[in-house]
Amino acid sequence: MAIEIQPGADRMQPAGPGAGIARPWWRRPAVHTGIVGAIAGYFAGFWIGKGVITPNAAFSTGLSDVNNVPIVLGYVFGTIGWLAGLGVFNDLGRSMLGKPLPDYQYGQPGGVAKYFRYTLDHKVVGIQYLFGMITYFLTGGLFAMAIRTELLSPTYHALSPSAYLMVMGQHSTMMMMMMSSVILGPLGQYFCPLMIGSKRMAFPRIEALGFWLTPAAYVILLSGVLWGGFPTGWTGYEPLGTQSTPGMDSYYMAFGLMGISMILAGFNIIVTIITHRAPGMRWSRLPMFMWSMFTVSFLQVLAVPVLVGACYMALLDRTFQTAFFTNTLGGSSYLWENLFWFFGHPEVYILALPGFGVVTEIITTFCRKPLFGYKVSAAGMFGVGILSFFVWQHHLFDSGINPDMRPLYMLTTELISIPTGFIFLVAMGTFWKAKIRFSIPMLFALAFYFNFLIGGVSGVFLSDVPADVTEHGSFFVMAHFHYTIMGGLIFAFMAGLYYWLPKMMGIRLNEKLGYLHFWTMFIFFNSTFLPLFAGGLMGMPRRVFEYSRALQPLNDWVSISAFLLGGSMLIFLINVIMSTLFWRERETGNPWQSRALEWQLPSPPPPQNFERIPVVLSSGYEYGDPEAPPVADLNPPVGVVSEAYARVEA
Amino acid sequence: MAEPGSPPAAERLSREMEEAGFYHEAGLNANWSGSRLAIGGLAFLYGAFVFSYFYLRSIDSNGRWHGSGFHPPSAGYGVLIMLLVLLSAGVQYAVLQRIKAGHKVDWQIGGAVALLFGLAAVGLQIVELIYLPFFPASSGFSSVFVGFYAIFIAILLAMMIWLESLLARSRFIPGIAFVEQPPTYAEAFTVQRFQANLSSFTALWNFTAVMAVLFWVLFYVI
Repeated sequence: MAIEIQPGADRMQPAGPGAGIARPWWRRPAVHTGIVGAIAGYFAGFWIGKGVITPNAAFSTGLSDVNNVPIVLGYVFGTIGWLAGLGVFNDLGRSMLGKPLPDYQYGQPGGVAKYFRYTLDHKVVGIQYLFGMITYFLTGGLFAMAIRTELLSPTYHALSPSAYLMVMGQHSTMMMMMMSSVILGPLGQYFCPLMIGSKRMAFPRIEALGFWLTPAAYVILLSGVLWGGFPTGWTGYEPLGTQSTPGMDSYYMAFGLMGISMILAGFNIIVTIITHRAPGMRWSRLPMFMWSMFTVSFLQVLAVPVLVGACYMALLDRTFQTAFFTNTLGGSSYLWENLFWFFGHPEVYILALPGFGVVTEIITTFCRKPLFGYKVSAAGMFGVGILSFFVWQHHLFDSGINPDMRPLYMLTTELISIPTGFIFLVAMGTFWKAKIRFSIPMLFALAFYFNFLIGGVSGVFLSDVPADVTEHGSFFVMAHFHYTIMGGLIFAFMAGLYYWLPKMMGIRLNEKLGYLHFWTMFIFFNSTFLPLFAGGLMGMPRRVFEYSRALQPLNDWVSISAFLLGGSMLIFLINVIMSTLFWRERETGNPWQSRALEWQLPSPPPPQNFERIPVVLSSGYEYGDPEAPPVADLNPPVGVVSEAYARVEA
Repeated sequence: MAEPGSPPAAERLSREMEEAGFYHEAGLNANWSGSRLAIGGLAFLYGAFVFSYFYLRSIDSNGRWHGSGFHPPSAGYGVLIMLLVLLSAGVQYAVLQRIKAGHKVDWQIGGAVALLFGLAAVGLQIVELIYLPFFPASSGFSSVFVGFYAIFIAILLAMMIWLESLLARSRFIPGIAFVEQPPTYAEAFTVQRFQANLSSFTALWNFTAVMAVLFWVLFYVI
């Protein structure tokens, strides 16, 4: 066999459409061509819907008195145009012509411009996700501020009832869409190869496509405001969904697109972890953050297709006049409720588990101790993941479930607290007799455990049927899930960001502003949501813009706290902007003295992550053991990788 | 390029070979894992329709699972479309053994036939949906029927695009490369990547054919 210096070098072209081709920037596929494609696609779809399909179809009149076909086709064609403009389909075209696809190239040329392109480097995609998700978060946060402004007074109104519902729907849906990807996107995509010792993801095109669907979902969801919004909140309950104005189309379309994005991201992470681990990176050495990503990805790949299917059915009901959810025509509104919550409850753990993964990584570093109960922690995550498929009916305790079925779902819901308890147990064992370093990531991690404990305990309380029937639809439930999602996931996200941003950007966030951010966020978060448990117990209903006058002092306290919580987010934003663009305090080493594999690399990591394929020698958690071997040999002699791999294959 | 024969060049060469081999193997495994995982995800998507079917059928809301004056969909179309998908998967699977034996042209002919059968199934399904004997909203059955087959068309079409790209790529691979080691690593890798891709396609296409039969039973038999 002839030997080549670089196998496949004849085909080794810069990856990604347009990359490396000497064309002026405006002729290369990027965001601007995507926008052109999206606009052209939207109008083409609208025209096809209005001018071609509707006049010729029997279904143009039927259940709904509004013709939604042009709007939905506009969204569909707009999304296709957006992706086509970005160059997503270029490689598909090449493949259909039998041309070889360009090989994966480490690193991407193009400076800042690469962040605005369909790029195949997982580190670029991670940064794209980071800024994309922060945009989602800030937009959803502004809607939250509008909600709290309205709730300042039970009698003087800043918003009309329908506007309030619209703002509520936008806030909740945008936040839920964002939360699904806020850790899996930026941190998961960025760190998955680095933590398992790989130079790349398994399917970089799928990874990039997963990200570029999220801006489309964002714009489509926001466009619902132009149609008057949607009144259903994030759950899209039927039959209200079918009866709603065209703004509802934006909900189904955006959530469906985000669902596809979640499936693609999860799919890629699972396959990468299974197939691209470095020699020596056994399952028993896999970082806990990767275990959480692995579990969450399974939930996404298996549960989210049901959401996508349900959104598709709802869009068919609203356009092509099927009757999946119309009781009088042979459908059932409960069908939506079942399909939605079959996705929706695993979704709750899609939000929670990444947070557990992040803080578990952080506490071992700052406790300087090995992780207590590694296997118990991994088992806890899997236990939560598996049980999450068997609890969805508890969302219907008060909405039509056969009463005989309630105890079963009460039991399964309570059972899930056991594997969740494992994860807390692991943390407590790790904290035990540790000399904790209270740096900013560790403070956020500790706050995560505090907040999630309150959210978790109130969740166990709500899983009991009598308590759920009493508190259903009240602010008590709202306070509970904000404690788990914002108090849990967002605190973990912040912990991860302060911990890993020096690795991602080679720049350290300002410490003083970081501490200020933490304390203001922690205090005002609790000051905002803890009183809402009391409000709920006193009968304040969710999604209603008026309330008892007796509850005004409590609501005013909460609103002011919420504004201050928003202010703490501004501190974070200022810190990120100033630290990354102006102060630029370089951090190229290992500021936390972490043993983790990713911290053995320079910051930011070089284009190909590892100069050579590393051989992992020990776990990243063996702190305090002077006999522990280094975590990896980053420069193994020739032949070691082949031998190690051959042993695995054998 | 480093001087051939000098120790650093030799080491660099070995290292690059080693790395290329490592990621090539990982890529082949990723194909296998990915296709099985995709089957899992698709199974849950199909599961949503199976659940809808049995849920609406069992509650028979307002007596309109079928409704009065129900006209079933054309059995002829149903059988024909199901058989075309089944035949397409069967033919492709049968000729797969031929390409493993080095008879590339046999696979190409069989693959083209499978492609034609698959496209014919797509075309017939579109025609059936256009000329349905019931209105989509006329019953629970009609809703699930229209909803499922509309998305099934998209899945069939995506699978046929994949098959077409495999056929197109196979033109550039010599038949002998499937039975004898090609002269360079690059060519060997290309052949192995093609085989892994073909294997993934086969797994997914066979699964799709099984689903075609399952939903045919649901909509036309029971």
